[in-house]
Amino acid sequence: MPEPTKKIDCRKAHELLSRQLDASLDPAEKSRLALHLAICDFCVRVERQFLALREAIRRLGR
Amino acid sequence: MREEIAELRPVLLRIARMQLREQAWAEDVVSETLLAALEGATSFEGRSQLKTWTIGILKNKILDHFRRSQREVSIDAQVDTEQIETLDELYDQTGHKAVAPLDWGDPEETLSRVQFFDILQMCVDNLPRTQGRIFMMREWLELDTGEICKETGVTPTNCFVLLHRARLRLRECIEINWFQTRTAGA
Repeated sequence: MPEPTKKIDCRKAHELLSRQLDASLDPAEKSRLALHLAICDFCVRVERQFLALREAIRRLGR
Repeated sequence: MREEIAELRPVLLRIARMQLREQAWAEDVVSETLLAALEGATSFEGRSQLKTWTIGILKNKILDHFRRSQREVSIDAQVDTEQIETLDELYDQTGHKAVAPLDWGDPEETLSRVQFFDILQMCVDNLPRTQGRIFMMREWLELDTGEICKETGVTPTNCFVLLHRARLRLRECIEINWFQTRTAGA
């Protein structure tokens, strides 16, 4: 029997949001993160902000 | 053109110092960059275009330095010291965000503002040294984590931790010094 998807808190979600910018998450981590983002608008904002930061740094010095 | 290129030296040196541990190495790559810029400069419409082009040369010179030098002394020991920082203040006891993140709105609107980049640079400069260096290797030099580990001797686990902390720190710094200030002033 597959393990039911464990809930994660915002702290863990932020860790996964950051790591997915640098590497692939495993399927269980992906599902936990997706489940959390579906119910947490704050973490959706943080996800957008991490992406905006990446874009901003790439334009630094231009 | 020669004077305009020379005026870029302090900003180039600041960027190089962040990436290379030794002042002498930073000065070397900046000198090589200025020389290449002087040799290659033709016509530029403005200072901004010249700066962008010169920083692009610097980026390549730093990457060349990494490729031709042996791995620098491992900086993993420094990571241990910086890991004392727990970021506990960002979360409540249940692991949820202690303060609601602001809506940053349209990123393009923000990125069109020159002053935003001054705040961003200040926030990057304020990161703990190893965090800032690894973060800029990843996001500015666009190296993958495997290359960063090879160049610095930092373990993959520590690399992910440092990148995560740097992103959280920068997010907080930008929110406080750019978005909150603008909301308060509105």
